[in-house]
Amino acid sequence: MAIDGEMSKRLPWAQPAAEIDWDAAYAELLPRVYNYFRYRLGNDAVAEDLTSRTFEKAWTQRARYRRDLAGRSTWLFSIARNVAVDHLRAQRRHLPLEAAEHVAAPGTPQDHVAHASDLERLAALLQRLPAREQELVALKYGAEATNRTIAALTGLSESNVGTILHRVVLELRVAW
Amino acid sequence: MDDQFLHDLRRAPSREFAARLSANLRAQGTLSRARGPSPAAQWFAAAAAIAAVSFAFTFPAVRAGAAAFLDVFRVVNFAGVRFDPQRLAGLKAGGVDFPSLLGDVEPPMASVPPVSYADPAEAGKAAGIEVRQPAWLPPGWTATETVVTAEHSARVTANTAKLQTVLDALALDDVRLPEGLDGQVATVHLPAVVLMTYRDGLRALRLFEARSAEISFPAGFDVPALAQAGLRILGLDRDEAYRMAYAIDWRNTLLVPVPVDAASFRQVNVAGADGLLIERARSGCLLLWSTNGQMYALEAPLGAAAMLEIAQSLQ
Repeated sequence: MAIDGEMSKRLPWAQPAAEIDWDAAYAELLPRVYNYFRYRLGNDAVAEDLTSRTFEKAWTQRARYRRDLAGRSTWLFSIARNVAVDHLRAQRRHLPLEAAEHVAAPGTPQDHVAHASDLERLAALLQRLPAREQELVALKYGAEATNRTIAALTGLSESNVGTILHRVVLELRVAW
Repeated sequence: MDDQFLHDLRRAPSREFAARLSANLRAQGTLSRARGPSPAAQWFAAAAAIAAVSFAFTFPAVRAGAAAFLDVFRVVNFAGVRFDPQRLAGLKAGGVDFPSLLGDVEPPMASVPPVSYADPAEAGKAAGIEVRQPAWLPPGWTATETVVTAEHSARVTANTAKLQTVLDALALDDVRLPEGLDGQVATVHLPAVVLMTYRDGLRALRLFEARSAEISFPAGFDVPALAQAGLRILGLDRDEAYRMAYAIDWRNTLLVPVPVDAASFRQVNVAGADGLLIERARSGCLLLWSTNGQMYALEAPLGAAAMLEIAQSLQ
């Protein structure tokens, strides 16, 4: 019953090590990558743009994917994280004039939180946190990643991920 | 820890965005086209290939001249069996070439592009079957494409030396291959397959219909003995392999190996027929069943209840 070679070629769930079922990956991971960026950056339009970049990068880098080193979603989210980092760096380099107006807008952060959409409220609250904590929240609640996957992506231990998230959620819960 | 408020902020990407990105990626060859024009349409060929493997080594120990094929295998039932892909991946890494392990296949399967049809009934005529379509689909799903793949026939010549290398590599020294197996020939007929695709935004539902694959092989052979060897290679222990090998009716049952880390499976009833439902982690289900001489496979990112409802609504 040595069917592995045939299965690998034919069955959708039995792809060989270096091959991805792109249809399945897209259907499963598009909402997760999109929400990762929404939670990370608090903006739907930016999330769409960065989601597109992530999938396009994944495609161009597909030859580098090694299933024995990482699961499909872990690999894709490592690309998404790099896309987010690049975006944030570019934002810092090219801060638009509108951003200065926003910084100078009257009212306290609490005022802003009270009048914004829920996503904007979350973004405002997350901005008070260190980048690492923002990233963990986006991965956990936007990308729906497990603590184990988050640990693999961030280099933190799984227990450390759980501890940090527990503390952050308590803080956010109070502020919410 | 009450974190529901954080879960509640997730939103599905807009259909417009998802469709636009999908189109862009398709233009770059990322989605289905990346795996060829008819990746899913090959499923029945896979089923037949699995069947071929299951039976390629189960030919009677008859003399070379006694080439009359007396027994014909047709798919009536499906049975799942778990296997560990890592086990086989390890063998591959060690140099075992699984495709060639099957024996020599002549002529090899050619990569023939499927033919598109606007009308499923016309596609059915081309495939020689009466196509049945779902009378019920969950809201949002619409038919987008119907294609027919080419049929194919081949002869498979068993090669026990290669199979023995696998048994040796796995240290399965309790397994004995039937004498007289080497050089035996089976014929495999893979039918034309009708593949109907339905979409809900980016999500795809695929319904395959075809006549049963047929494998003709000489009669009188101890099929369970060889099936037991195959099951041992897949990773079943000696007792489990023995129990399964002698419990299955190998003349009409297609064994479907299911990776242990990717899916679970169970037997289900589809409008009176026995079916096999394979539930994959995160990415939906595959439902296999056979009725009135036709095989069906339904693959979709849906739950088990919806899958069964669709299958039972075919008309």
